[in-house]
Amino acid sequence: MNRYTPERVPIVSLRHLSRDYYSLKLGPWSRVGQCRPGQFVHLGLPQSDVYFRRAMSIAAVAVAGKELEIIFKVFGKGTQALSHHRKGDILDLLGPLGVPFRPPRMTETCVLVGGGVGFPPLYYLASWLIERGFDPKAIEFFYGGRTSGEIVERSRIKKLGVRFHPVTDDGSFGVKGLVTEAVETYLTENALRRPRLYACGPGAMLKAADDLGQRLAIPGQVSLEAPMPCGFGVCLGCVVPLRAGGHARVCREGPVFEIGEVLL
Amino acid sequence: MTPDLRVTIAGVELVNPIMTASGCCGYGEELAEAFPLSKLGALVTKSITLEPRLGHPPPRTAETASGMLNAIGLANVGIDCFIAEKIPFLEKQKTRVIVNVAGSTQKEYVEVCARLNDCPRVDMVELNISCPHVDAGGMEFGTDPAITERLVSEVRKVFSRPIIAKLTPNVTDITVIARAAEAGGADVLSLINTLSGISIDIHTWRPRLTKNRGGLSGPAIKPVALAMVDKVYNCTRLPIIGIGGIATANDVVEFLLVGATAVQIGTALFVEPDAPVKITRDLIAYLKAKKLGSVRELVGKVRKY
Repeated sequence: MNRYTPERVPIVSLRHLSRDYYSLKLGPWSRVGQCRPGQFVHLGLPQSDVYFRRAMSIAAVAVAGKELEIIFKVFGKGTQALSHHRKGDILDLLGPLGVPFRPPRMTETCVLVGGGVGFPPLYYLASWLIERGFDPKAIEFFYGGRTSGEIVERSRIKKLGVRFHPVTDDGSFGVKGLVTEAVETYLTENALRRPRLYACGPGAMLKAADDLGQRLAIPGQVSLEAPMPCGFGVCLGCVVPLRAGGHARVCREGPVFEIGEVLL
Repeated sequence: MTPDLRVTIAGVELVNPIMTASGCCGYGEELAEAFPLSKLGALVTKSITLEPRLGHPPPRTAETASGMLNAIGLANVGIDCFIAEKIPFLEKQKTRVIVNVAGSTQKEYVEVCARLNDCPRVDMVELNISCPHVDAGGMEFGTDPAITERLVSEVRKVFSRPIIAKLTPNVTDITVIARAAEAGGADVLSLINTLSGISIDIHTWRPRLTKNRGGLSGPAIKPVALAMVDKVYNCTRLPIIGIGGIATANDVVEFLLVGATAVQIGTALFVEPDAPVKITRDLIAYLKAKKLGSVRELVGKVRKY
C-alpha cells in the first residue's frame, strides 16, 4: 500500500460554505500524516456516475484524527456530484500527490496570493507554517474573489493571526480591484523583509502573479491546475509548456512550480 | 484449486491474459509504484518513435460520457533514450515487455524495430498503425490494406520475435486490414485503438482539444471493440488481444468469449492504477464460480444466436 494505491475513505462532513463553495472532511485516511501544503489528492466518486477522478488541493489536515479537508467550488459534473454526497458516503482517494510548496526561511515574509478556489492550499501552507513556529505576522494573506460571497472561511483565516488582505472585483468586501494589483501596490508601498510569493488561482491571476514576481524580482512559487485524467504521471494529459523548453506534468513535476518556470 | 491463468501468444507464455495498453502506463516506472509489474501478463509501453516527440500542445485530453478523448500526439522519449534509460528499468521487471512502435514513415517503423531486435528484453513489438490524431503516419498505415501488408512485411525482415499489429476501428471493414496484417507476417492482432471523436465547449465554441479531433477510449467504446474482436476472430487464425474500455473482470470475460486470447487495460488505469491486480483477482473468482480450470476455456466460446 502506498500513495498510488487507492483507499476508500468515508465522508465525515460536507458543509456548504457560501454560494458554490463547500468544505468536505474525510477520514480516517491512513496517509494524512504524509500530506504537505501544495499537494493534492485524486478523488474518485464510486457512488456516482462520474468515471474519472477529480484532483483536489488539500485545505487542511488533522493528523491526530486522520482527517483531511478539501474546500471545493461546484464547477462541473464532478464537483456537482460531490456536493450531493453526504456524511458516511465513501470516496476513493489516491495521494497525497504532487510536489509540495518549498517552505520559506524563517527570516522571509510569506506573501500568499489566492484567487477564488485557489485559496485552500495557501490556507494549508499558512497554518502548517504557523504550527512550526513561523510568525503569523510575517504572513501576508491576499485573497481575491469576484464578490464578497466568494471570500470564504474569512474567520478561519483571521484566526490564524496572519495579515489578511481580502480583495474583491466589485469592492463588496475588502479592497476593490484585482488581487494581483493589490499585492503589487502593497509590495511597492511597504518594505517587506525578504518577501517570497506563493500563488494559486485562476489562469489569468496566476499569470499576473508570475509576471509580478519576475518584474519585481521576488522569488516564489505558483500552484497550477490542469485537467488531469490519471494524476500519477502516466497519461500525459496535464502537461504545461516550460520556459526552458519541453513539457512538465502538472501532476508529477507540479502542481507547484517556481515563478518564471512555466509559460503561463 | 486455483484456476490456471496462463495463456500463450505466438509462443510467448504470459502469467495471465492481462496487459496494459500502450499510452496508458508510460514505460512502467510510475505503474511499478502502484503494484509489482510481475502481476501483469505483459507491459505494453507508450509508442516509441525514432526521434523524441513532445506531443501536441495542451489541452490534449477531454472527459466525455463514460470515456475520454485524447490527442497526446505520441509524446515519447525516442528510441535512443528508450534503450539507454528505460530498458535498464524494464530489465529488472519480472513481466513480459511489449514495445509499441510508431512512425511517420515506413522507414521509421523499420529502423525502430531493427534497434529493438537487438534488445533481448523486448519480447514482442506492437505496431501502432492506428493512431487517429497525428499529422503524419499513424492511422494512414492501418486504413489501407496494401500499406499495412507492406509495412508489416518490412518490419518482419528486421524483427525476429513476435510482431503484433494494432488495428484501428476507423475503417469500413476491419477484417480487410486484419487479413492484410496477417499476409504481411504479423503474429498477433491487437484491437481496437481509439475511435475518432470531437468534443466542443458550447461557451467558447472551441473544440476541447487543440488538435480539434482526438481518440475516444474508456467504457463508452467497449461494445464497439467487442463487435470488432468478434469479426476479426472469425476471419483470421491469428491470436487476438482485445482492447477497448476494459475496466472489470467481467469485461475481460466478454472479450475472451468473443475470441481474444489476452486483453489490454488502458483508460481504466487512469482511474485505478492497480486495476490489473483487481481484475486478475476477480477473474480467478469468476473461473472458480464457473468451475473452469483454465482461462483458456473461455476463448471464442460465446454462444451465439
